Amino acid sequence: MSRRVRIAKTILWTLLGLAAGVSVVRFTRGLGATTALTDATPWGLWIGFDVMGGVALAAGGFVVAALGHIFHRPRYHHAIRPAILSALLGYGAVVVGLIYDLGLPWNIWHLTIFWNPRSPLFEVGWCVMLYLAVLVLEFAPVFLERTRFQRAYRALLRLQLPLIVAGISLSTLHQSSLGTLILIMPFRVPALWYTPLLPELFFVTAICLGLSVVIFESTVTSWLYRRTPETDMVAGLARLAAWGLAFQFALRLGDLVARGAWRQALAWNRDAFLFGTEILLSTFVPLALFAVPRLRQRAGAMMTGALSSIVGFLLYRVNVSGLAQVDFTGSHYFPSWTEFAVSFGIVAGASLAFLWIQEHVPVDPDALDQASALKRLQLFELPRMGDLRVWLGDPSFGTRRAYSLAFTVAMAVGLTLTPWQPLLQATPLARARGGDVLLVGFPSGTVSFPHAKHVARLGPKSCSTCHHAVKPGDTGTPCAECHADLYLPTRIFEHETHVEALGFNASCAKCHVAGRPQSSDQVRACSACHPVATPVSPWATRYASDTADGYRVVAHRLCIGCHKREAGKLVPPKPNLPRCANCHRTTTVHERAVEPVTPTGPPVTSS
Amino acid sequence: MIEHPAILNDVTLCIGCEECVAACKRTHGLALEDQAPREGASPDGLNATRWTSVVRLPNHANVRKQCRHCADPACVSACPVGALQKTPEGPVVYDKSKCMGCRYCMMSCPFGIPRYDWGSLTPSVRKCVMCYDELRSGRLDRPACVSACPAKATAFGTRAEMLAEAGRRIAERPKLYLPRIWGVDEVGGTSVLYVSHVDLAMLGWRPPSVLGDKPLPERTWDALRQVPFEFFGMGALMTGVWWIIDRRQRLAGGTGPGDESPGRGAAGSASGSADAAGKGEPS
Repeated sequence: MSRRVRIAKTILWTLLGLAAGVSVVRFTRGLGATTALTDATPWGLWIGFDVMGGVALAAGGFVVAALGHIFHRPRYHHAIRPAILSALLGYGAVVVGLIYDLGLPWNIWHLTIFWNPRSPLFEVGWCVMLYLAVLVLEFAPVFLERTRFQRAYRALLRLQLPLIVAGISLSTLHQSSLGTLILIMPFRVPALWYTPLLPELFFVTAICLGLSVVIFESTVTSWLYRRTPETDMVAGLARLAAWGLAFQFALRLGDLVARGAWRQALAWNRDAFLFGTEILLSTFVPLALFAVPRLRQRAGAMMTGALSSIVGFLLYRVNVSGLAQVDFTGSHYFPSWTEFAVSFGIVAGASLAFLWIQEHVPVDPDALDQASALKRLQLFELPRMGDLRVWLGDPSFGTRRAYSLAFTVAMAVGLTLTPWQPLLQATPLARARGGDVLLVGFPSGTVSFPHAKHVARLGPKSCSTCHHAVKPGDTGTPCAECHADLYLPTRIFEHETHVEALGFNASCAKCHVAGRPQSSDQVRACSACHPVATPVSPWATRYASDTADGYRVVAHRLCIGCHKREAGKLVPPKPNLPRCANCHRTTTVHERAVEPVTPTGPPVTSS
Repeated sequence: MIEHPAILNDVTLCIGCEECVAACKRTHGLALEDQAPREGASPDGLNATRWTSVVRLPNHANVRKQCRHCADPACVSACPVGALQKTPEGPVVYDKSKCMGCRYCMMSCPFGIPRYDWGSLTPSVRKCVMCYDELRSGRLDRPACVSACPAKATAFGTRAEMLAEAGRRIAERPKLYLPRIWGVDEVGGTSVLYVSHVDLAMLGWRPPSVLGDKPLPERTWDALRQVPFEFFGMGALMTGVWWIIDRRQRLAGGTGPGDESPGRGAAGSASGSADAAGKGEPS
C-alpha cells in the first residue's frame, strides 16, 4: 500500500474518530449540546451540507449512468460502477446525516405510513428511499458476479435498464424538489437566491456537480493508487460539464436579470460576497479549466476545476438553505465545531467505505486482474482459525494499528471537547447573582465589574444603591453615578496603572490635555481609549452598557422571581403576590382578588 | 366549539402584564421557568415553554406574539408526516407521536412561531394550539390567554365577529388606530388578527412584495403538481433516447451494444461509439 493511501486513510480515520466522539454526546445529550442551531435558524450545516449537499454530490451516479447506458457512450462505462458506488455511499451518508439532524431520528420510518403529499420534504424523502433501493439493486451485481447466486445476478442484469431509467427519473424529482423545499420560505431567502426557478436550478446544478464529482473521484483515485489517469473519460466529462456550467450560468443570470435582482449581486455586503464566491468557484474557475481542450488532458487541472465546482455548488446549497438566510432573518448562526466534526466524519466514513470497496471488490472489472480480485473476495467469508495467522501476519496489520490509534485518540479528543450541556445562554443577571465578574463593554472587555465585590463592600441590603430609579423614566444607573471623582474613595480609575502603562511622566499629556484647566472633568474621556459603550457584535448588547439596571428592570427580572417562589410558601398563601396585574391593571385590586381567574362575560368586549 | 374561532389582539389596550403567558403556562402545564435562549440567539419572546409572549417595543407599545393559525398554514403543508394538522374548526395542532423532528415547519413558518426543545433528547415542536383540546371538550369556553387578560386587549369569537369588531374599533377611534387589520389577507388570511397604533412588521408581517396574499403552500404545490409528469416524462424520454440510439447503433454496426450490463456494454464497436459521439450533448 502506497504512502499516499496510508496518509489519506489515517486522516480519514482521525476525522471519523472525532465524529464518533461527538456522536456519543449527540445521541445522549441531544441537539442542544452539539449544534449551534436556534429557533430562528432551525436548519444548519447538517441539512445544508450533509443532506442538501450530499444528495447533490451523489448526482454523479445518475448522470454517468445516463451517459453510459442511455446515451450509449462507451468511454464512460468504466465510470459507471464507481459512480453508482459513490452515489450509493453518498445516499447512505445522507441518511446518516439525517439521523444526526432529526430531533426524533427513530421516527424516520414514519414517512412510510404517515403521508402528506403536499409536503416537498415528503416527496424528497420518498424519492431518496426509492432511489437508495434502486442504487442497491444497480450495484448488487458487482457483489453477486462471482458468487453462487447466479440466478439473482442474471435477473438483476435483465432489470438494469428499467432500474437505470427509474433511477434517472427519481433523481430528477428529488434533485429538483430540494429546491422546491425552499420555495415556501420567500421570507427567509434573499432575492439573490429566491426564485420560482429554484427546482430547475437545483436540478441543473446537480448535473454539473455530479459530473464534477466523477471527474474528481477518477483523478483522485488515480493519483492515490498511482494508476494511469483515465484521461479520455475525464476529458469527455469535463467537456460535458463545461456545457452544463455554461447553461446553468446562463439560466441563473437570465433569472437574476428577469427578476431585477442582479443589482444586489453588485452590492457591497455579505450576501453579495457569498453570491460572488459561489459563482466564482462553481462556474468561473471550473469553466475556465474545463473549456480549454488542452487543459482537459491534464489531471491536475481537472482535479482543481472539479474541486472548485464541487465547493462552489455545495456553497450554493448551504447558502440557500441557511447561510444566506442569516442576515435576512436577523438571526445569528455559525455552525459549532461539533457540527463540522460530524459533517466531515460522515464524509470520511463514506470515503473509507469507498476506498475499501475499491480495493476489495472488482468495481471496475478491467482495472483489476481477475486472480487478485478473486483472492480479495475471500475477505467476505468469515475468517477461520487458520486464517487468523494470515491476518496477523499481514503486512497491512501495522497500518491498521495506526488507523485504530488515530481513530481512538481522535474519539477521545472529541469526547473530551464536546460540551455535555445544551448551549444555552447565561443571562447577565444570573452571572451577577452568582457573584461573577461582569465584563462591561464585552467582548473588548476593557472594564470588568466585580459584582460580588460590590455586594461585599456595600453590604447585603445595598442592591438599591445601584438598582434604583435615579430619575423618573431612567432605566439604569451609570457607573459614573458613584465613580464620579478620582479623588473620592469610590474612584475606580487606577491612575498609577495608567501612568505605568503609558510611559510615566511623558504620558501625562495623553490624558491631561495641554491648555485646559487641569481638573478631573477636563481630562480626555475614558471612552476615547476604552470604547466600552459600542457593542461590537449584536449579541454583545447585553453587556454593552456600562450601567447598572434600573429599578424597573430589576424589579421585573429579579424581584418577580422571588415573589413567585414565596407566594406559595406564605401562610395564608398570597397567590397574587407575583402577578404583574397587581401594578399594571385597568381594573381595581378588589376585582382581581379571586384566584384563579375564571372566564366571565361575553367573548367580545371593548374597553 | 365554535366554527372558525379567531383571536383579536388590540395592541393599543395591552399593558404588557403577561397574564396571558401565565394562563397559557398553567393551562398547558408548561414550566414556569422559561427555557433559556440558545447561545448566540437573540431572545425573541417565545420559547419551548412560552407559547405566547409580549414583545415590548421602544415606543412602549406591547405586542402579543403567538401562532397566527393561518387559513392555509405553511407548517402544515411542510410537515412530511402530517404531525401538524389544521383542525376542521381552525386551530393548528401538533401530534408528537407522528413527528420525526425535521424542523421544516419551523423553517416554513412566515411568522417564526414554532419553537424547539433544544435541551431535550426527545424534543418536540412547541407552539400555541389555541387551547384546542380544552375548547373542544368544553373545559374552557375561550382560550386561557383571552380569559386571563385584565386589560381586555385580546378577544375571542368567530373570525367574522372578530373582523367586525376590529373594523368597529378602527372606525370608532380612527385617530388612534392605523387603518389596517393584520391577518385579513396575508398569506391567505390568519385566525389571529391584530389592530394597532404602531406598525407590526416585527411580528413577521413582512411587506406584500415578500409575503403576499397567496397562501405559501401554493408556491410549493405549483412545483409539486408536476411530479407525476416529471417522473413519467423523464422515464419516457430516457427510454426513448435509449431505444433510438440503440437501434441506430444496431443498424450501423451490427454488433449488439444493446447488452446493458454495466462494464460489459463497453464492448460497443468503434463505429457505434463514433455514431454516439455525433449526437447532441445531453444537458
